[in-house]
Amino acid sequence: MEIFTQLALNSLIAGATYSLVALGFNLVFGTTRFLNMGHGAVASVGGYMVLALARNGHLPFTVSVFLAVLAAGLLGWLIDRLVYAPLRTRRASSSVLVITSLGVLIVLQSLLAIIFTSQFWTLAAPSVWFATVFSIGSGNITGLQLTLILASVLIFSGGWLVLRFSDFGKQVRAVGDDEEVARIIGVPSERVIGGTVFWGSAVAGLAGVLVGLDTGVYPTMGLLLLLSAATASIIGGLGSVTGALLGAYLLGFVENFGIWFIPSGWKTAISFGVLVIFLLFRPHGILNKEK
Amino acid sequence: MAILQTHNLSKHFGGVHALDRLSIQLKPGQITGIIGPNGSGKSTLVNVLTGIYPSDSGAVILGGEQLKTIRSPEVRDYGLTRTFQEVRLFEQIPALDNILVALTERGVFRALFERHKILHQTRAREILERVGLWEKRRALARELSYGQRKLLEIGRALAMDPKIILFDEPYAGLFPEMMKQVNGILRELRTQGLAIALIEHNMDLIRELADHVIVLDGGELLAEGPPAEVLARREVIEAYLGE
Repeated sequence: MEIFTQLALNSLIAGATYSLVALGFNLVFGTTRFLNMGHGAVASVGGYMVLALARNGHLPFTVSVFLAVLAAGLLGWLIDRLVYAPLRTRRASSSVLVITSLGVLIVLQSLLAIIFTSQFWTLAAPSVWFATVFSIGSGNITGLQLTLILASVLIFSGGWLVLRFSDFGKQVRAVGDDEEVARIIGVPSERVIGGTVFWGSAVAGLAGVLVGLDTGVYPTMGLLLLLSAATASIIGGLGSVTGALLGAYLLGFVENFGIWFIPSGWKTAISFGVLVIFLLFRPHGILNKEK
Repeated sequence: MAILQTHNLSKHFGGVHALDRLSIQLKPGQITGIIGPNGSGKSTLVNVLTGIYPSDSGAVILGGEQLKTIRSPEVRDYGLTRTFQEVRLFEQIPALDNILVALTERGVFRALFERHKILHQTRAREILERVGLWEKRRALARELSYGQRKLLEIGRALAMDPKIILFDEPYAGLFPEMMKQVNGILRELRTQGLAIALIEHNMDLIRELADHVIVLDGGELLAEGPPAEVLARREVIEAYLGE
């Protein structure tokens, strides 16, 4: 029972991490219909910004986090405007966009390695709350990890409300359904895509900060975050925000409870095993309807 | 006085002349039937006029402005809208939201913090009642029947308060009751002074509704004039029989 509680907590922490990256990944997919591989690197930029601003620049921690989230959002938006939007204008296929985004991922990872070296950096948690260990039943969780779960719940609830009830949400879903028609009827589709990319990238940046505080930052951390987010999104249903949340937590639970039975070295293999099963038997994910 | 004119408008796909130096005009308060065999360029014309395809040469004169080509984000600004041969709706959102999205044009930040005003809700209700879908307002577009989807698409076009509507086979696949409903809407729009282009294969409907008919064949203008006269012309009959 002791291990059960701890594994459940670990699953929630993993699910929360994946969900924050998956949210942006799915939002971008929902409006542009391509798998944005560069999204993971944008998340890691969030972590590195805190390293640069708080640790090296000596800015107050909260200010650094705010600037890091803003920088990640702006970076995602800028990449979209400079790289993906011109390709969309030329009616590039989604394969071209995916390959381009892979290039973006590699360029960003290389830039991070050039600026900060390939070394692993830890981000100091300045607050006592972050380092405090809480006992829940027979399991332990730190304040930082609780913050991660809370951020996941709050950001998803907020995101769901925006998509469901605001006019912007309607525009996002209209553009996701048929961008060409949305344009014809007067929806400012490129601005809607830009806004969505900013939103998704900013949330990914926050995920990068929280993961960085929990486990440290290194240039290729974005790739691992991306793979988990992409897996979670495919499992839950690409383009669906609720699907991203469901897929992320399901993946978190499967990975963590899987290693109850088999060695922990197989953790990544478990998540990819689940991905393969879904691709074979339910490629449209849990929430999407088969087309 | 024409509200929309094309002058030598051309569009090629590889070696295929989808539109070949086509010059036509649409007038306010008039239903212009656009007919022609499959592949004659009817849908290409609508696609070029709404910015889905850029034209290769020629010009479009719209709202007094001569344009080389129309870009789709500008279509609404010219008071122009359309329906599609294969219905294209926003499938994941309810019927009411399909109308609301079209009803107001607004920037991203305003849209983030504002919700549709009562005025918009009232107008959306009027439109959904006009197309007989008020009861279905909460149903997702993808859950509607084929005929209801066609009607919702017409409703979305009405929501834009346009001056010109290009209908691409609005009757295809509709039950007689729904056809009557579309007939009523088209007549009403004509009375309101809108310029209407009606692409249609059903010649009885063209005879009944159109004030003017344009016949396309191989992307070229084959004939035009009053329906009774044009539909009796030998080259028009041959173009259809030769299909």
